[in-house]
Amino acid sequence: MIEKLMSLDRRYVFALVGLAVIIPTLLMIRFPIYVSQPTQNIYDFIEGLSEGEVVMIAFDYGPSSLAELNPMAIAVLRHCFRKRLRVIGMTLWPVGATLGDTLMREVAHEFDTTEGEDYVYLGYRPGVTNVLLQMGEDISAVFAEDYSGTPISEHPMMADVKNYNDIALVVDLAAGASVEGAWIPYTYTGYKQKIAAGVTGVIVSQLYPYLQTGQLVGLMPGLLGAAEYEKLIEQPGKGTAGMSAQSIVHLLVIVLVIVGNVAYFTTRRREQNAEVY
Amino acid sequence: MRRQVPLVLCFLFGITMTIQYYVPSRFSEDLKSEVLNWGLIIGPFALVLAIATLVRLHYTRIQRRSENWPYSIVVFVGLIVMAVVGTVQGFTSQGISGGPFEWIFNNIQVPMDATMFALLAFFIASAAYRAFRARTLEATLLLVAALLVMFGNAPIGDLIWQKISPVRPNLPSEVRQWILDNPNLSSRRAIIMGISLGAISQSLRIILGIERSYLGGGE
Repeated sequence: MIEKLMSLDRRYVFALVGLAVIIPTLLMIRFPIYVSQPTQNIYDFIEGLSEGEVVMIAFDYGPSSLAELNPMAIAVLRHCFRKRLRVIGMTLWPVGATLGDTLMREVAHEFDTTEGEDYVYLGYRPGVTNVLLQMGEDISAVFAEDYSGTPISEHPMMADVKNYNDIALVVDLAAGASVEGAWIPYTYTGYKQKIAAGVTGVIVSQLYPYLQTGQLVGLMPGLLGAAEYEKLIEQPGKGTAGMSAQSIVHLLVIVLVIVGNVAYFTTRRREQNAEVY
Repeated sequence: MRRQVPLVLCFLFGITMTIQYYVPSRFSEDLKSEVLNWGLIIGPFALVLAIATLVRLHYTRIQRRSENWPYSIVVFVGLIVMAVVGTVQGFTSQGISGGPFEWIFNNIQVPMDATMFALLAFFIASAAYRAFRARTLEATLLLVAALLVMFGNAPIGDLIWQKISPVRPNLPSEVRQWILDNPNLSSRRAIIMGISLGAISQSLRIILGIERSYLGGGE
C-alpha cells in the first residue's frame, strides 16, 4: 500500500485536482469569507474619498493572471463607480492594454457613466521608469491620446488632472514586480503618491514590508483578495465563486503533502530497519 | 569610441540626475522633465531592438531546421498578423480599441495564455506530493508554515476550525495573517535591504565605469 502511494502515477493527482476544481464550481458551494486587514484598508481608503476624486488603476498583468486579477479589478471599479469617483486606467504591460480597455468598458456600462467625464483609459506606453516619473510631472506628456486615439485634452475629466498631485490613489493590479520594482520606488518615493496593490497569490508575501512602512495603503492577496473585496462591496462575483474551487484544491494539496510525507517516512523507516537486520 | 562614448554619457547622466534629485530648483525640475522626455522617446527603440532580435533568432532556427523549428513559423505568423491588423486598424479607425485587433487578442491569446497558466495547478499539486518532504529542520519549518498559510488562505479552513472548536472562529485566517505579518515580513525585509545595498553599489559601479558588462563583449 505504502509502496503504491510512493509511486502513485501523477495522472491520478491530475485527475483529483481536476475533480476538485470542477465539482465545487458546478455545485456552486459558498464559504464564509473573512476579510483581512490589508484588503479592508483599501476599501476604507476608497470609501473615504469624496465624489469626483480621481483613482488611477494600473492593469499590470496579462491573460495568464486574469483569473486572479480580473475579479479584483471588477470589484474595485464597481466600488469607484458606485461612489462616483473618476477613474483613470493604464498599464505598464503591453499585453495588459487590451485587457484593461475591455474590462473598464464592461464595468463602466453597469453604471451611469460617460467616457471622458467619469473614466478614461490611457493604455500602454513603453519605458516603465520614464512613464511613471513623467506622469508625476505631466500625464499628457506621456499619454497625449487615450487608448482610443482621442486627445486626452478633449476629455473633460482630465482638465483638472495634470499629475499625481491630482490623483487620490493608485491601485496597481500586478502579476509581476511592478509594485515593488516600479510604483513604490518611483511614484511613492518620488511623489509621495498613495498606492494600493492587488497581486497574484505567489507575490503577496513579498509585499508585506511595504504595508508595515505605509508605502502601501493596502493589499489584496490573489483570488482571496478579490473575494474579500466583493464581500466588502456586497456584490459577489468571480472571486467569491472561485473560493469554492480554491478551498477544495488547497485542502487536496494539504492532504497530498501529508500523505506524501507519511509514505516517505514509513518507507524510510522500513529501509533503515531492513539495513539493521 | 564605441565604448568610450556610452561610458561618458552614462557617467554624465548618472551624476547629473543624482545631484538633480537633491536640488529643489526650477532649473533642476526643468532638466528632469527634459531628460524624462528624452527617455520616453528613446524607450520605444528598445522594442524595435527586441523585435529585430526575435526575428533573427527565429529566422536562424527555421534556416537551420533546429528542433521544433515549425513553431518559429507560428511566431512569425502571430507577429505579422497582429502587427498588420493593429497598424491598419490604427490608421483606419479610432486607435486599436475594439475591432479585429481586440477580437484576436480576446479570442486567441487570452484563452491560450490562461490555459497554459492554469495547467500549473496540476503540476504544483503533483510536485507538492512528490517533493515537499520534511527531510530537515528548515524543510519542516517551511512545510508547516506553507500548510498553515494554505489552510488559512482558503475560506474552508475557518469553516472546518469552527466545527472543531468554538473558540476564535477565524483562527486559521489569523494564523496565516500572523505568519505573513511577522516571520515573513522580517525575513523579506532583510532580503530587500540586501538587494537594495547591492543595487546601490552596482549603480555606482556602472556610473563610475567600473562595471562595463552592459556594453556587451564586442569591441
